[in-house]
Amino acid sequence: MSGKWNMLQSQSFLECNGRQRAFGLLDEGTLTELAGPRDRLSSPHLPVLGEAIQFDDGIVTGVGLIGKKPVFIASQEGRFVGGAVGEVSGAKIVNVVRLAREAFDRMVSARADLPEEKRPAVVISFDTGGVRLHEANAGLLAHSELMDQFQDCKGKVPIVSLIGGRVGCFGGMGFVAAAADVVIMSQNGRLGLTGPEVIEEEMGKDEFDASDRALVYRTTGGKHRYIMGDCNLLVADSIKAFRTALIEVLALPYGRMDGFRRIGSLEKVRYQLKLVDLCVKLAPKDSRDVWKYAGNENPTAVTDMSLETFLSTVRRLQVE
Amino acid sequence: MRKKLNRLDFEFKADEAKDFPADFVHYGVVGSGDMEIIIEKKPLDGAIRVTVLTPVSGFDEVWRRVLYRFVKETHIGNASIEINDCNATPVVGSLRLRQALAEIS
Amino acid sequence: MDKLIGKGRAAIGMVVDPESFREGVIGDLIITDKDFGPGAVIGTAALGNETCTIIAIDAMKTNRKFRVVYAGIIGLEEAYKMALAVYHSIEADKDNGPGEKRPLVLIVDTPGNAPGKLEEIFGMNKATGAYQLALAEARKAGHPIIALVIGRAISGAFLCHGLQADRILALGPKFGTLVHVMPLTSIARITRLDLEWLQELAKENPVFAAGPDFFYRLGGIEELIDRIEDMRGRVIAHIAEVRSIKARGGYEELGPSGRGALGAKRGGRRMRSEVMETMNKEFAAVADRYLI
Repeated sequence: MSGKWNMLQSQSFLECNGRQRAFGLLDEGTLTELAGPRDRLSSPHLPVLGEAIQFDDGIVTGVGLIGKKPVFIASQEGRFVGGAVGEVSGAKIVNVVRLAREAFDRMVSARADLPEEKRPAVVISFDTGGVRLHEANAGLLAHSELMDQFQDCKGKVPIVSLIGGRVGCFGGMGFVAAAADVVIMSQNGRLGLTGPEVIEEEMGKDEFDASDRALVYRTTGGKHRYIMGDCNLLVADSIKAFRTALIEVLALPYGRMDGFRRIGSLEKVRYQLKLVDLCVKLAPKDSRDVWKYAGNENPTAVTDMSLETFLSTVRRLQVE
Repeated sequence: MRKKLNRLDFEFKADEAKDFPADFVHYGVVGSGDMEIIIEKKPLDGAIRVTVLTPVSGFDEVWRRVLYRFVKETHIGNASIEINDCNATPVVGSLRLRQALAEIS
Repeated sequence: MDKLIGKGRAAIGMVVDPESFREGVIGDLIITDKDFGPGAVIGTAALGNETCTIIAIDAMKTNRKFRVVYAGIIGLEEAYKMALAVYHSIEADKDNGPGEKRPLVLIVDTPGNAPGKLEEIFGMNKATGAYQLALAEARKAGHPIIALVIGRAISGAFLCHGLQADRILALGPKFGTLVHVMPLTSIARITRLDLEWLQELAKENPVFAAGPDFFYRLGGIEELIDRIEDMRGRVIAHIAEVRSIKARGGYEELGPSGRGALGAKRGGRRMRSEVMETMNKEFAAVADRYLI
């Protein structure tokens, strides 16, 4: 068991499955899965449509520890139906967030001076295209419940989004991830709302070619999100890199979270509106135009830069 | 296309069946071309019962052969095996079965 | 028969006290720029003599700055504008007790969030998320929030403009109202499943079917309204009910979680509660190991 956790640390986050990520992100041997495969709570809807099912419905949910901190984790399996959210997986992710907040309420009523190191946290590894069409309405409603739970966590439990899987984080989960306190991505991760194929459909291939991988990554990938300020930490593609960043972030007092957020208050909305103003004034044809405006003289070089070079030299967008 | 999730049931008994040494083992991801497996200890008088859920039709005999070979070669006994399949080839199927067993150590 | 699709502005007039709607003004927020998120109509009105905030969609407007924003699509400006409306409502009533917070009435007729390149670069996900968080905050502060679907309530746009409300009302399907993630034809195409087969299955299983009646069965909509003349009365009635439920602390019975329970009750989402109960039990069994 011990060798396994250690071996996972150096593995590519991208290549690991959802369970490996959950297991490796938390302290060794501390993860207790809730509604795991043993419970066989699979989708009641997929079989009706003749589709394969998975015992955990494509998401690992549970509780573990980072130091003394109870961490409530949800880790999506991007390889199962593209990580898309259905009735069961939706209920799992909603409930794990609720359990975190209830844990906080319970701990605080037992002792008002709960030390920061014991404040429960929520960690969600997103690897999803959004709502599972086969269970569209149930998936949709789960998203609304999740945003409601996120708001309940405000002032109580920090929420950290991790994005580093192959599918990325799109559809409804795109706004859920952005609603968290902290967003940690790798260069492989992508965060957006509408998938590239739909953009191409809407705008035409000349405007947006979904098969142009470089374009897709410039538009929604980790480096771009980091420059835009949508991603707080950009890390290497390993379990250990994500875990280290997570530990670092969770060690901060809760009061520091506001500095990481991108939405969730009038002040943040006002700032985002300045970015929208900039968008109108700049009329960029490509993200590179925004990168250049942000002070990156050679935007083309940004894409190929190593992570170290990028982090030490990149200019992030700031708008007054 | 109208699809159907098919359920296949099998029962085997290996010669010199050895009791499955763990309570419960789970392995795999139901990705396209892949499958997941649960093996659970169960008193079946030495037998192995297998249930496969698969969106593919007409491959019952292929499954039977793969599973029979697995049971025969590993002498596994007194367990139920549940498989959620998404179009895995026999090669992938055999591999995953062995990987599931390897989870025990 | 009269349909209200595309007629968000007219719908405002049918709901609020006559001549009471003042566009662009909420608390100390004054928006005069007609070209700022023109499809989002925000303002203050009187509803049964009390002040309320109106957030509606005018599907006849086009945003000239953003190519993909027209016909009721919610773009960056629109979503943030609607978030501003909510935050300023909260601010305006911040010194009022929880029972005296102005209601927010969302008039819903939108086909989606803006699917554009600029939107992806600048983060449409943030805009739609911002509006949802604002609504969730207002709801929990005591503001009664009622969504009234008069036209299209689709996918991510419905998620931000509607699904955070305490109660969701919808004109029935005979008014051409559409409530879905995407049309069955698109679902069929993307999942590569037979359309006719999906249509057959949809009759019994509301989980992927389009239509306010299906959503009703899933607990996604609290009430279907049969006549346009009834909209005003039902909105007012629900505001009063929501207020009294909040007064006794029944927040869980409203909004997204309230609708979750409704789904179980109406039979459309049964696994949801089983999953949650299982997780709760399993956590309770190990909680002492983690919450020390």
